[in-house]
Amino acid sequence: MAKCSTLMSEQKQHENVPVYEFMDVNSKEFHVGTFRDLWLDVLNPEVYSYSDTASEIEDVGFIEEMGIEPKTLEELKSICRLRKRRQDYKETLTRDTVDRHEVYANEMEMISVGKKPDNLRDLIPEGEIILTFNIMYPILFQRFKHVRAYQTLQVLGSQKLSDLRDAICCVSDLQVFGEFSNNPDMVPQFISKDHYKSAFFFFNGTFFNDTRFPECQDISTTTQEWARTRDFPEFKTAKMEDTSFYDLKMKVGFPYLYTHQGDCEHVVILTDVRLVHRDDCLDIKLYPLITHKHRVVTRKCSVCHLYISRWITTNDAFAPTEPCLFCDQCFRMFHYDDEGNKLGDFLAYAYVDPGTFN
Amino acid sequence: MDHFREPVKADCEELLGRFQATESVRYEQFVQIWKDMDFSSIFHGKPELNERRRFARLILSVVSPYFLPPYTFQIRVGGLYLLYGLFNTQLATPREKIRIALKDWNDVTQFQKDAVNAQHYDVVYVFRKLLSDKAFYFTAMPTPLNFRIKREDGKRRKICEEFVDPPSRPQELVTTDVLEEIANIHEHYEGLKKATFTEPDPNLDIVQQNLVPKLNSTILTYCNWQINHTKSEQQDAGEGPSNQEASKSRRHRQTELVSEAAPDISQKVSSKKKRFPSLKTRTQLRFKTQGKSCPPR
Repeated sequence: MAKCSTLMSEQKQHENVPVYEFMDVNSKEFHVGTFRDLWLDVLNPEVYSYSDTASEIEDVGFIEEMGIEPKTLEELKSICRLRKRRQDYKETLTRDTVDRHEVYANEMEMISVGKKPDNLRDLIPEGEIILTFNIMYPILFQRFKHVRAYQTLQVLGSQKLSDLRDAICCVSDLQVFGEFSNNPDMVPQFISKDHYKSAFFFFNGTFFNDTRFPECQDISTTTQEWARTRDFPEFKTAKMEDTSFYDLKMKVGFPYLYTHQGDCEHVVILTDVRLVHRDDCLDIKLYPLITHKHRVVTRKCSVCHLYISRWITTNDAFAPTEPCLFCDQCFRMFHYDDEGNKLGDFLAYAYVDPGTFN
Repeated sequence: MDHFREPVKADCEELLGRFQATESVRYEQFVQIWKDMDFSSIFHGKPELNERRRFARLILSVVSPYFLPPYTFQIRVGGLYLLYGLFNTQLATPREKIRIALKDWNDVTQFQKDAVNAQHYDVVYVFRKLLSDKAFYFTAMPTPLNFRIKREDGKRRKICEEFVDPPSRPQELVTTDVLEEIANIHEHYEGLKKATFTEPDPNLDIVQQNLVPKLNSTILTYCNWQINHTKSEQQDAGEGPSNQEASKSRRHRQTELVSEAAPDISQKVSSKKKRFPSLKTRTQLRFKTQGKSCPPR
């Protein structure tokens, strides 16, 4: 019996070594927690620790292991030293303008790279796994299909799926429902994010639902019932807040799904799984960490082209386009007289700009 | 940034090709070539930190495959030295790391063991230095994957034929172990036949009697043919300087029946003779100054 179990565990280990399913496209499925254990089994802890071993200790170790003389080691060191060359013509290398994507990316990097926490309790433990997810923005416009807008989030293996869910910024979360042409001052304070709290992740045949709040419903049931009537295998359900990433079986590079607000769907791709490194951001409070966000241009008011638009009107006889965007001041000046009476016939909705997350 | 991939690959193969021509695995040889080509200037010319980082990532991912099988030991050593050089001369801070996937880690440890056994101290030292500099990311897959289906055009995965051992499928199939087993089974079979039938019946002689020796000789003939074939294709310049270190590096490989290291070296030399050797190489060949720079044992 013991032999059988060791054989099974060996096989389990073998299955969990990630390999390509399709070359350079995605990998086969593997269990994240086992993958981490496999790495930690074969590595010397010094190799992935944050601190450096003192060079004297390393030298002694090398000498003993290889059975050579200290003189040889000194010779090796002097031969294998690399000198950095200074770059010529550095002063003449300039770029006239830096595009806004680069500026934005630089700013993001400055916030997080190499950050060490003040409180040692917030330090990520050595040997932790970092997963990198690319979350695509939902495609809404015909014109913008050539560029795939996405944000990149890094999460720790020990975090729960609900942490990832909370960190995803989507503009549809901020939408305010309602037509307010008759009462522009009474825009309600609550947003869609508070109203519709249900969401799910779909990984490898299992729906992970958010059940933290009483308002959350299982929005995956519709899909599951539909699938049952067709020829699909049975899908499973689980809770988002109880599952950590270590419990998941994932394929690297394979597209998965995140749905919230009922029908706002995002494609989610796990691009990278690796051990944490000394040069990463080591503050656990900053995770899930946004490392890349596609910067969308903010739409300004059609009148002044200065302020960010807050209102969108349809059926408006005054407006040049249908629909039309206005900032708050231009909107009021345009559509209401001094007493606040509505002028003309139009429908007005609160507009949340997709570029709010910049 | 992807448009740099082809030229970068060409440059790295040029450097590795020159390293292969030196017939040695010594670090000094590598450094000579590096300085000759002024390779660290590959990172110059990028004002933006972002671009430097992306380029460093690109070139490290291009060079990483040369560190792993199926390349020959010498090319793998060259790949290791190249990674070491690139990691230390890159201009991005903090430094971009070299990615190693879990599935390749066994090959890496095997490579290190081989280097230790063959007493190539500089190889071992360079590898350990990279480990202690925390130059590696221990990942699931060799590169981050984004489900790009359209990209492939075949060129990306092309392996330079000269860096790989020539195909040796027959030798791998018919090894000494396999031959021993077949001989054993043959003996058993003959013994059983004799035990069952007192009179040897010629109708029962289905199996060739001298199967094992025949297999053996066929494989040897094939091997010799391979060697002569490649020799005759190029200009034959003989064995070249017999570098002690190089022959030792062949020792550990499982060349099954062809156990001599000499034919393999000559094969490498003759296949490399396609490229006209530089003045430096010719001078060194003539005066045999190689082999002096190995660390004393």
